[in-house]
Amino acid sequence: MNGDFLALLPRPNLAVSGMERTAASTPRLEGTTVFAFHCADGVLVAGDHRATAGNVVFSDTTEKILELDAHSLMAIAGSPSVALEMARTLQTSFEFYRRSQLQPMSLAAKLRALSRLLRENLPGTLQGFGAVAPLFAGVDAADGKPSIYFYDPLGAQFEAAAYAGSGSGSSSVKSVLHYLEKWGPHPATMALPDAVNLANRLLMTAAEFDAATGGVDPAQKDFATLKLLNRDGIRSFTRNEQAQFWQEARP
Amino acid sequence: MTDEPYRWLEAVANRREYIRDQLKDATPAFAVSRPEGVLLMGVGVGQSKVFEIYDRLALAALGHSVDIERVRQTAIEAAHLEGFTRDPADVTLRRLLNFSLCPALKSSFEQVFAAPFLVELLMVELGSDRSSDVMARVNYDGSVRYLTGQVAVAHPSSTTESAATEWLQGQLTDDLGLKDVVSRLITAWRAMPPGKPFVTPPTDGPKDGSIPKPGLELALLDRRSSSRARYRILNPNDLA
Repeated sequence: MNGDFLALLPRPNLAVSGMERTAASTPRLEGTTVFAFHCADGVLVAGDHRATAGNVVFSDTTEKILELDAHSLMAIAGSPSVALEMARTLQTSFEFYRRSQLQPMSLAAKLRALSRLLRENLPGTLQGFGAVAPLFAGVDAADGKPSIYFYDPLGAQFEAAAYAGSGSGSSSVKSVLHYLEKWGPHPATMALPDAVNLANRLLMTAAEFDAATGGVDPAQKDFATLKLLNRDGIRSFTRNEQAQFWQEARP
Repeated sequence: MTDEPYRWLEAVANRREYIRDQLKDATPAFAVSRPEGVLLMGVGVGQSKVFEIYDRLALAALGHSVDIERVRQTAIEAAHLEGFTRDPADVTLRRLLNFSLCPALKSSFEQVFAAPFLVELLMVELGSDRSSDVMARVNYDGSVRYLTGQVAVAHPSSTTESAATEWLQGQLTDDLGLKDVVSRLITAWRAMPPGKPFVTPPTDGPKDGSIPKPGLELALLDRRSSSRARYRILNPNDLA
């Protein structure tokens, strides 16, 4: 017993996950925007709600920021069938390890677990239908600091010093965040209401230049999926909370 | 030997006697269904008695630490495989006990040439309200009893177990907070020292509900939480 959930799966002859699937999945999240940046209260992870299949809007209620456990978030961009299965596998693996070993899995091991799933998805990535390029945000149990990581579709992992983004609309977001990092105001020192408003404005900007990114409509209280991660865990922001921040920021 | 029915019966009887003798000095474990959730308590010196199994499932056990660990691992593996294969909502205590744990315990008990499991278990499932909480008392031989009351006690002696359960059911009124509930549980724990029967605490006299040191373990399957995993370890000093 070493707490490895994936090693347990072959016993009852269960497939490891959706990674062996060969059928092409219809909706694709390449047309998407997810991003994460450091703010004064932790790491804020944001995403839009849109899934597209070619030029068809497949869904406008897709959850792309997924809670893997009490201290880990995964933002998905890429093939949703594979990405969601990866998230489900990681959720079970992390909780299985924590419960069976009576201690949480280390952040390094969590990062490697996602790397391993991405590597095992190599056939899907090469065939062009199952590529996933996720973001990962996790808290190091030793020092309680939240960190942001991004991956390439083959499983290489990189730590982002200040921010990271993935999906077709992320280049606009990363450009703005780069500007702010260089010339201010710095997101890393922003209070929570300002950081939440910044995330929604960034998503509006991404939607302006990327048709596949679902935007923000404050009049309809339609905001980004937003989750804050820090040593205390994960906090999700409701539509009403975001609407209140938005209203308070109006000049 | 097992070809001869009488000797087999004798072997099983000896086995029960051996297990009871091994467990006779074990200290009890408790589970209580409350508005806040299902509270579990154990006092184990140098040994854990209370464990998380799955999102809404938990275990309190007494017995040999290695056997508790084997049961715990089996339950965790079965629950996670089921939750992964189907859905976490399909992981229920009744299914886990009826199709995984209890058959394994019974099978092990009947292998008269192998060492038996030295365990007595309380397993609980958190429901959406108190009426849907499930508490089960599982014996070393795989027999299971689903409990209808809101208090469950696991003790090697069934007489002591019944007496303590009855006393606690009279004590744990709905208006008590978790701190007072824990205090009553500790009073009951003190009233059944290892190897001795339950002595009903005096009605009007002083009751020692102070926290024993060391080894008190408290956990709550929290009904008020919105997270998937409801198990929370409680610090007795933080209880209101």
